[in-house]
Amino acid sequence: MKDELFTMTPDLPGMSPEMVARWQEELRRNALRMKHFSEMIMNPKEPEIGPTPREELYRKNKSRLYRYESKRTVKTPLLFVPNLGISRPYIFDLMRKGSFIEHMTERGFDFFLVDWGVFGPEDNDLTFEYAATKILPRMARKALEASGAKEISVLGYCMGAPLSLSWLGSAPEFPLKNYVDMAGPVDFSKIGLFGLWLDPRFFDADKYVDTLGAIPADMVKMGFKLLKPTMDVSTNLNLWWNLWNPDYVAGFNALNKWANEYLPFPGEFFRQWVKEFYQQNKLIKGQLRMDGRPVRLESIRCPVLAVGAKEDNIAPPDCVRPLVHAVSSSDTEYVELPGGHISLIAGRGASVHCWPKVASWLEARS
Amino acid sequence: MADQTGAQQLFDLWKKQVEEGTRAWLKMAGQGQSPDPQAFWRPFMDQGMQAWSKVMTQGQPSPDLMAQWKQFLDQWIAAWSKVLEQAMGTENFAQAMGKQLEGFLNQAGPAKKAAEQHIEATLAGLGVPSRSQVVGIAKHIIALEEKIDAVDDRIDTMLKRLEELTAAVRKDRA
Repeated sequence: MKDELFTMTPDLPGMSPEMVARWQEELRRNALRMKHFSEMIMNPKEPEIGPTPREELYRKNKSRLYRYESKRTVKTPLLFVPNLGISRPYIFDLMRKGSFIEHMTERGFDFFLVDWGVFGPEDNDLTFEYAATKILPRMARKALEASGAKEISVLGYCMGAPLSLSWLGSAPEFPLKNYVDMAGPVDFSKIGLFGLWLDPRFFDADKYVDTLGAIPADMVKMGFKLLKPTMDVSTNLNLWWNLWNPDYVAGFNALNKWANEYLPFPGEFFRQWVKEFYQQNKLIKGQLRMDGRPVRLESIRCPVLAVGAKEDNIAPPDCVRPLVHAVSSSDTEYVELPGGHISLIAGRGASVHCWPKVASWLEARS
Repeated sequence: MADQTGAQQLFDLWKKQVEEGTRAWLKMAGQGQSPDPQAFWRPFMDQGMQAWSKVMTQGQPSPDLMAQWKQFLDQWIAAWSKVLEQAMGTENFAQAMGKQLEGFLNQAGPAKKAAEQHIEATLAGLGVPSRSQVVGIAKHIIALEEKIDAVDDRIDTMLKRLEELTAAVRKDRA
């Protein structure tokens, strides 16, 4: 009955049949909008996230190393290092046909993911240095052992890039095959609004950590929301506009779950992260020391790919690009792709621009 | 014709609102220079006007109006986003935010400490382990795990060395 209502073409005076058909389509979409809206309110469904099969390979405190199922046709395994704190890593395996990890495993990569986990008050003494020089190398070693390979490629996303670079820059003996920096800041003098807000003239990191101990998830959320205050308005407007489309609604539900799940920072980690990276910019200046060893980006000699996102306001392209000039590699490439910090790696645009680029670049060198 | 005049009045009113809104935001953000609201609203204002005139002269109502309205709102949000970004990218804003945060920490610090002391005393009175005691135990477990990992690493190193030595001995015998 409902279908008939939308398919019959009544003869309306003064209106062409084409216009009538377009109005019918608009009415159909509005009916679907109402239907999906009421479903979202009255009967919200928990989105299915992380669809790619995986096994836990190793755990250390809250952190886990996962290995994803794949045909493993690419010789060199890939270790993915995301950000610590802020958000959960299931954004990289959000949903079927909308997952970076699924894309990479389908292309035959032996894919390992570091999930830093959710830290509690007992982890407030955990430093950036400890994560970079104690947890990460151990995870990489376990990944190498499991894969049976002699070398491994590392992909750092967002804060995962400075974290992995701080380790690799102080461990030139590590068998690194390729390095990919995806929206990871390297030169913090060009980091944009966060750099200004965290400037030592306006932000006292010591007082912040000494008072609060850890950085609560709500504070992290506030900082990111402030970075783009109109984000919620445009998200909801786009939802309303696309609410008739069940695929869009499914994607929105999964992404919305992730976008509202903020994680706290361990206090000492935050202190070191803000002071040595945002405020003193030690990584690119070559002044950083980790575990008693200097961090030298020039000691990285393997092929390096840096990927910046044109609309990124968390790690703007200008602070990602300098990596390719700081390393000693003869094979370096910088690409700037459409999208923001998240849409670079998650969503429809990412599946068209970023995933194929990263996969092809690595395949050619693995 | 009457419709087009009505639309013009509507847009005049809206234009005035945008200008006043922009001035207020930039003033709040403490930008010293006099703002030029036209610089940000003109591009999408022109597009909106064109779309509106097209719809009005079509002669019959079209569902395109919805798409144009959505486009118009997108541009509106993008323009506001740009203005806010400019306002928040000033040292005055960063300074104001820093002061506000410091004020919060000055209040939150003593209040948090007092609350923790009160809860500790209450729990101690009830004979229930306090949060800090539970956190202390968790820290011990983490430290223990670290020591086990260190032992694991040493065993791995020794096993590798042993394998190398065995291989070397076999090679010598051969």
